[in-house]
Amino acid sequence: MEQKLEAIRAAATQAISSAPSIDELESIRVKVLGRKGELTAILRTLGELSPEERSRVGQKSNQIKAELEAVLESRKADLLDSRINETLKEEWLDVTLASAGASRAFEPGRLHPLSQIQYEIENIFTSMGFTVLDGPEVETDYYNFEALNIPAHHPARDMQDTFWTEDGNLLRTHTSAIQVRGMERLKPPFRVIGPGRVFRYEATDASHENTFYQVEGMMVDRDISVADLIYFMKVLLKEIFGREVAIRLRPGYFPFVEPGFELDIHCLICDGKGCSVCKQSGWVELLPCGLVHPNVLRYGKIDPDKWSGFAFGLGMNRLIMMRYGINDIRHFQSGDIRFLRQF
Amino acid sequence: MWLSFNILSRMVDLSGLDPDEVALRLTMSTAETEGVERMNAHLDTIIAVKLLDVRPHPNADKLTLCDVDTGSEKLRVVCGAPNHKKGDIVALATVGTQFGVEFTVKKTKIRGEDSSGMLCSEKEMGLSDDHSGIMILPVDTKLGATMSGLFPSWRDTRIEIDNKSITHRPDLWSHSGFAREIASLYGRAYTSPVDMSIPKSFPAGASFDVRIDSPDGAPRYCGLSVKNIKIAESPEWLKAAVSAVGMRPINNIVDITNYVMVEIGQPMHAFDRAKLRGDTIIVRMAAKDENLTTLDGEEHRLSTEDVVIADRDGAVALAGVMGGGNSEIDDATTEIVLEAANFNPVNIRKSAARYALRTEAAIRFEKSLAPGLCEAAIIRSFDLIRQIIPGAEASSRIVDAYPVIAKPVRVSTSMDFIRKKLGHPVDDKRIAEILSSLDFELKGDAGALDIGVPGYRATRDISIPDDIVEEVGRIYGYDNIPPKAPMVPCAPPPANEKRAMERRVKQILSRNHNLIEVSNYSFVGEDLLNRLKMNGDRELRLRNPLSQEQDRLRRSLVPNLIKNIELNQRYNDAFRIYELGRVYLKEKRTDTALAVENTRVTGAVYRKKADSPLFYEARAIAADLLGQIGVSGVRLLPAEKNLPPYAHPGRSLEILIGKDRAGLVFELHPAAREAFDIRGPAALFDLDLDAVIAAKKTGRAFTELPRFPEVPFELSVLADRFTYAADIMETIRKSSRELVRTADVVSVYEGDPVPAGKKSVSIRVVFAAADRTLGPDEIEKAQKKVIGDLDAKGFKLR
Ligand SMILES: [Zn+2]
Repeated sequence: MEQKLEAIRAAATQAISSAPSIDELESIRVKVLGRKGELTAILRTLGELSPEERSRVGQKSNQIKAELEAVLESRKADLLDSRINETLKEEWLDVTLASAGASRAFEPGRLHPLSQIQYEIENIFTSMGFTVLDGPEVETDYYNFEALNIPAHHPARDMQDTFWTEDGNLLRTHTSAIQVRGMERLKPPFRVIGPGRVFRYEATDASHENTFYQVEGMMVDRDISVADLIYFMKVLLKEIFGREVAIRLRPGYFPFVEPGFELDIHCLICDGKGCSVCKQSGWVELLPCGLVHPNVLRYGKIDPDKWSGFAFGLGMNRLIMMRYGINDIRHFQSGDIRFLRQF
Repeated sequence: MWLSFNILSRMVDLSGLDPDEVALRLTMSTAETEGVERMNAHLDTIIAVKLLDVRPHPNADKLTLCDVDTGSEKLRVVCGAPNHKKGDIVALATVGTQFGVEFTVKKTKIRGEDSSGMLCSEKEMGLSDDHSGIMILPVDTKLGATMSGLFPSWRDTRIEIDNKSITHRPDLWSHSGFAREIASLYGRAYTSPVDMSIPKSFPAGASFDVRIDSPDGAPRYCGLSVKNIKIAESPEWLKAAVSAVGMRPINNIVDITNYVMVEIGQPMHAFDRAKLRGDTIIVRMAAKDENLTTLDGEEHRLSTEDVVIADRDGAVALAGVMGGGNSEIDDATTEIVLEAANFNPVNIRKSAARYALRTEAAIRFEKSLAPGLCEAAIIRSFDLIRQIIPGAEASSRIVDAYPVIAKPVRVSTSMDFIRKKLGHPVDDKRIAEILSSLDFELKGDAGALDIGVPGYRATRDISIPDDIVEEVGRIYGYDNIPPKAPMVPCAPPPANEKRAMERRVKQILSRNHNLIEVSNYSFVGEDLLNRLKMNGDRELRLRNPLSQEQDRLRRSLVPNLIKNIELNQRYNDAFRIYELGRVYLKEKRTDTALAVENTRVTGAVYRKKADSPLFYEARAIAADLLGQIGVSGVRLLPAEKNLPPYAHPGRSLEILIGKDRAGLVFELHPAAREAFDIRGPAALFDLDLDAVIAAKKTGRAFTELPRFPEVPFELSVLADRFTYAADIMETIRKSSRELVRTADVVSVYEGDPVPAGKKSVSIRVVFAAADRTLGPDEIEKAQKKVIGDLDAKGFKLR
């Protein structure tokens, strides 16, 4: 009887240690320790034995049962470990790739750099109480020129090489065309900006485009002064460039403002020391601005004796070119995503 | 435009001023300067030397070896000129002399012989065009004297002015204008070059008369005849002055009239008195088809909008633009008529444009010159003629036709107005000082100002108080005005719904669907439209296109986006792009008679190799976009007819909002792919953003999560290959509306054992009720109804 027990133990231990899977282990457990298992069968025959033998064999078989259960557990843990290890091995990835089987990453979407700067500027100005305005891109002579104090044959029209459409209208040459439209729609006081696409009849090269983007700004209120204008321009530029930038205002002629200015900023490349970008002057022309001409207010049905205002026009392409060191303005309208995905 | 310091210094004392600093001050207060040039700086190191010996070069036929005496040392120079001999005084460019940036004189060997310098011709020194030999100086010239000392007129400094910055200031198209500005900026005195007492000595009579027939075209005409003229070369100082401002010296009379133009800003003309036919100079509009040959030899057929100067027999000059060849002065001329007139800027501008003759005169006249300048210019020219041609004499009085005398301009304003506009407390004294220094006449008291505007600034430039503000501000210096935040009420600005929507759409497409935003031109051209077979000639055309590729305005964003695909597929295997922009519909009109601008958003998905149809990706983007915005009443319907030619007729879906067409989702037609050599499929969506904005929006509302069990029911039906799944689902949904919660196609299968021309569509239906658990009978009934209804429509259960 005891030999039989020993044989069961030996066979079971051997089977457990060589069991290849957890399922196999389970069937061994059932075969040896289960209700109809080999060990249980021996325990059932204990009644046929003498009391001494019964107690000895019983003790022995309980000991073997405990022993086998421990071996089973340990083997099961080993098998589990190796199964996880197997999975880990299988799931190894080349993490130097950016996507499965390719080194090019999944590509996130992007806004065009012109949209990005437009929204930046909109955010700055709406936070200061400015409304965003719209106007048509194909515009009338009236809004683009006449109402801006630029009558027919005015020499200032030379500065604005214009695309004319077959129906006698034009492609707006500046976002200033929204000024009088804005005044017609809004009662003073008001503050507006108008970002948008403008056109110039001009052959394209690295620094000239027939299509580009400006943002117009205008504030009309009581007693608006040059000092107010300088304040808003300083805030705008500080927000855009993320730091204080040195600026200077010098006279500039635009028929729709009086006085009119050119606003220069310290060259960002050389920080005002002089380099080839700023033609050694240390300054770069950034935006025209001025106090709204009383005639323009009158065109907008606003009494210039009661109200005054300032206006400015900022070229967004140039701003982006300065910020990122872009050397060719034609990239903006190229549709080439090798350019666009850089921003 | 060039500003010569030599010319300026005759009107304002420039001593002690650094030219670069003057240029900067002018930029900050007057007009944009573009650079400072020290002219002929090489003259400082070119000296007079005596040729002690001249002998042939041993190794070269045309060269000579010259021993020269500089007064302090003896040097050897090799020279190639043919005209010099022993004993001549000549000009030696010493070692180190720089001719511009490109050439510096060095000590060198020429064909084996040492040479310490270079003997110069007049042309090499910039003194004239003479290059026939080296310059031979007078025998009494002091050895070692510099050329800048001998020819001071040629050693000038000039500032370049940006012409665009002075279009509004006719007075600044002259040196006197800038001299006045410099005088004001530096607190120095301005001296007019014109001696108005000169005409006292003129005879009272005249051999000619002037008649203005068109006072609108020519407000004023002054003439003076001058006799005993001898046409000759101009003196050095005049040639140098004319050269410094970029003109070529011609002869004394032409140079004088040019000089007066750049000096005081009034263009002039000189006729040969003998060539004028008759005794009356007539200023009139040109007759129809009248001909005139201008000084440049070109013959023009004139327009009735041109102002001409005419004599008895016809036009002798195109007024304000260019003189005629028939009355031109020449070497035989002995008497001239000097003209200084004032013309309507618009006529001049048009004439100059019409004949492509934007002459120096025309450029000035089109800026609205002051009529007051005419007389001064005549006097100044006569003064110079008298100095340069001894014996020249006025043979007439100044014949002055000036029918409507320009009214003086006065501006009423106040010290307070000026301060309020500047936003800075400039004191009364400083304001008065600035305005007086600019030649304004001030009257008034207690802060009220009655200002007389000088005639040369009164034509267009200054007429309102705001103009006076600018005068004070620019001389005071805008940099001296500190910024100030305005005191205004603070409130959130009204929103711009359209702009907000554009921004939202871009955010959804770029951030949620990973599309890259592109920006294309508003233009298209015939070739592009032809390639897409969509050239219906319906675009709004440009009158003055830059090129054939950009001669009309787009009606759709699609063509340019297809070009973007064509470009980008060369460098990328896969990409998603979109554009949000406007198209122009000329058949629809706004209230201001403009073509209607329709804002659209158009996107494309491209992959060189796609394992599933890209159509579904484009559809998902468009549908999600509309969903996120909450557009209500959106319907997506298969579109097979009336499609644009670039859309694949078997892969197109129309987007309707209510009953209106608001967009299209489609794959690119294979023919379009071929036309643009696009390898691989591309799917696009094209959406009318204005329709999206106008559409009703549904708000978001919470739906309670299901509380009672949902019962799934899966089935497969056999359908014709061209059946739309939407029709099958619609049948299911309708079969028991209250119980069908969802119905989804989970797979579609074609191929064995499904018969050819058919497909098997597997559908998962979920039955549920919001208020109870469905009983087995109810479920079975619903299932049977689904099957029955499908069967009735011809969809057999598999
Ligand atoms: Zn720089």
